[in-house]
Parts: sequence; C-alpha cells; structure tokens
Amino acid sequence: MFRLQGSKVLAVDMTGDAVKAKNGSMVAYDGQMAFKKMTGGGEGIRGMVTRRLTGEQMTVMEVRGQGTCWFADRASEINLVSLQGDKLYVESSNLLATDAGLRTGTTFTGLRGASQGNGLFTTTVEGHGQAAIMSDGPAVVLRVSRQYPLTVDPGAYIAHQGNLNQSFQSGVTFRTLFGEGGGEAFQIRFEGDGLVYVQPSERNTIAGDV
Amino acid sequence: MTTYPGAGGPTVYDPMTLPVDDNVNKYTFCVELKGSQWFLQKGKMIAYYGSMEFNGVGHGRLDRLVRTSFHSPLHASDWVVAEGSGKMLLADRAFDVNSYDLEDGNLTIRSGNLLAFQPSLALKQSIVPGFLTLIGTGKFVAASNGPVVFMEPPIRVDPQALVGWADCPSPCHHYDHGYMTGLLGGLRAMTGIGGASGEEHQFEFVGAGTVLLQSSETLMAEQATGVVPHEPGVPGGGGVPTGPSQQAGAPRLPGQLGDLQRRFGL
Repeated sequence: MFRLQGSKVLAVDMTGDAVKAKNGSMVAYDGQMAFKKMTGGGEGIRGMVTRRLTGEQMTVMEVRGQGTCWFADRASEINLVSLQGDKLYVESSNLLATDAGLRTGTTFTGLRGASQGNGLFTTTVEGHGQAAIMSDGPAVVLRVSRQYPLTVDPGAYIAHQGNLNQSFQSGVTFRTLFGEGGGEAFQIRFEGDGLVYVQPSERNTIAGDV
Repeated sequence: MTTYPGAGGPTVYDPMTLPVDDNVNKYTFCVELKGSQWFLQKGKMIAYYGSMEFNGVGHGRLDRLVRTSFHSPLHASDWVVAEGSGKMLLADRAFDVNSYDLEDGNLTIRSGNLLAFQPSLALKQSIVPGFLTLIGTGKFVAASNGPVVFMEPPIRVDPQALVGWADCPSPCHHYDHGYMTGLLGGLRAMTGIGGASGEEHQFEFVGAGTVLLQSSETLMAEQATGVVPHEPGVPGGGGVPTGPSQQAGAPRLPGQLGDLQRRFGL
C-alpha cells in the first residue's frame, strides 16, 4: 500500500509482499525488510539487453518484507499513480517505485523523446497496482478526453497513462531562424482518453531557447 | 469514456475544473484566453487546452499591440504573445508563482521574476538597470523564490531579497558607514576579515507604496532587459560622457595619446 508522507517521501506498508524501487532510494524502514538488486530492472535477459541498447537504463531493487519502508530521491516531489490494467509511460529517471506485480518495459517514443532530450525510448509500467513517479515541483494532472486534446511542452512532460495518441508539433518557421520564434518551437499534442502529468519546471531541451 | 481514479489520488484537472486566471497550485498558474492576448516570457508555458498560437514579439501582425504595450524593443526576443482560446498553464523552474492586479498603478520588478502580463499593462524598462516597470491596469504573473512578502516603507531591504516595488519612487543605496569607515573598516568590508556581517549594504525605500520581498536570498537568473540608448545621462547606457572631468579618475597609461586622441575623435 503506497501512501505519501509529506510530498517528498513515499511510505509503503508491506505484509510479506514486494515493491520494485529505484536503487538506493530507501531512506528508512521498520520491521523486517530484505533488499535485493534486480539485474536489468527485473525484466530478464531480454529486458536487460533492450535497456542497454535503448539507453533507458534503470537500476532497480526489490524490497520484500513486513512493516513500512520509506523512499525518497533528491527531495523530488512524489506523485502516486494507480493503474487498473492500463499502461503508464514514464521516463526511467522519473520512476521511483512500483508494485512488484506491475510489468515494466521499454517502448519507442519517436520524435517526442528526441525533443525532450532524453532519448528515443521511454519506460512503460502496466498491470494493476500503484506506482510512484517523481517531478521537479508537484505535478499537475491533466485529463485528456475526445473533446479536449492537450498540448504540452516537452520539457515539462513527465508521464502519461491511458489510451493516448501523441503527435509532435513543430512551430519552427523562418522567424525562428531570426531569433524571433514563438519560444515554444516543439510541442506534443495528446489526443484520446487518459491523463497527462506535467511538472512546473522545464528540463533543458534542444529546443529550449528556440 | 473511461474514468481514471481521482479519489484518493492527486486532483485531476480538465478544462472545466482548471481555475480561471488563478493558481492551480503554488507553482503553476492557469490563464484563460478567450480570443484575448497575453505577453509571456519565452518557454514558460508548460501545457494548454484549446487552440493557441505563440508568436515572437517581432511578428509583423503584432506591431500595433507591441507599440501600445511593449516599450523595450531591444529585449523583444525574450517575449512572446499568446493568443487564441483555451486554458494555458504557466510555470517557472518550480519557483512560487503568483498573480498581482494593478489598478491604474505602477510596479517595478526584477526582470527575471516577471513571467507574463496582460496587454492592458505597458511594459517599460526601468531606469534602474535590471528592472522592468509595468504601468496601467491589468494582471501580471511573477515568480519568486519562496512566497512574496509585502512591506510598507520606510524600509531598508537586502538587495538579494528585493523582488520589486510599487508606487514608491525613491529606491536608493544605503551603506552602514559607521562600520565601514577608516582603513580598518575598509579592509573589513573588502576581505571579510574581522567580521563583516554581509549586511552592510541595503536598498532603502521611503515614501508611500509597497515593497515586494522574496523569502530567500537566492536570486532568479536575470533576464536581459535590453540595452538602453547610448546617451549621456542614461544610467547603464554605457554612453560614458567624454568630458575631461569624468576621465580624471582613470589612470593614463604611458604611450597613450590621452587628450589628443579624444580631440581628434579617435
């Protein structure tokens, strides 16, 4: 059972079950806990090779035991996501912990990843259970539905879930070349049905100043 | 339509539930556009619903708007105009953001702190270098490192904590002279040896008005305010008057032509 203690510490109550968490993110625990590093994110040899090839490296540990375990990472804000059979797409660097029952994998993101400056691949989490993702400043959760598509700045995007189509929008015009661009040269447009998580801060992207 | 869990989890916003021209949380601000326009600093939009267009201030179609509410042509490349309809979220490096209303007033703000403003306000470069002045009636959004505190003059404030001021026309430097006079005092101020508190220099405000302070001494990265015209009498203009009296302080190096050089306009 995941719960937040404050906004920057994740507390997980366990009764003999397990969670997967970012390596080294445990800050405290009570009760009995065993920590095991999972080679290749616990995705087997195939997952390990994929991660190595795609650059979506993720060092994960499995925590199993009785009691409460607390996780935190560099004072990042933590957001809880609950999954009911749907898929969460998140950057591996923003993923803090997942229920052991959730499957993780990698997927191709195409141009969006390139515009964010963090690779062409992203991590997926699917199944039934809870996950915790990190953001710089508390994330704002925005619902996308048929009548309300959403456009997001690649630098502020952290994760999305549900049935969403993403398309890449470029606002680069000849004016960009003169340094008079709109400042939002690359955008991702989400259409469909689901949730998008954005953080109140922008990573440096290749299009940062365009 | 699938419904995703909202209960127990974080609040899920959609265009109906997002606030109108108000904070979503301490770090995110939502602006509603209904065919209207807003000026914003480049790259501070994080997401939007609806259809919007972002154009650099140099865009020809915006000439008239820029002429009426944008008076620092030389830093135009840092600003864009958003227009269209929908709701737009603004944020700045996870700093606190807040909106302020001006009613036929004026407010001067550190250039790095200003995020966005309505075109009913006019943005001008302040005479004080690194600051911008907003004049008129309307709303603007500013970021600060920690919540903003409002103070009444007379007050002396730490230079790093100053965000801006409204209506008081007399910002000036203040030094604790008693502490810094004499050779020893000077040494202390320069080297910090012998106990400098680091607070010997303040900004002083008097008169009626409001002073805005942030609750931290970490400055926000400064935004260029543009170059001021090279004219004598313009602070920070770099237009160093060439009268001999102003040059007296500069030591003349051997081999320099000195006054002759200037006389011939070199």
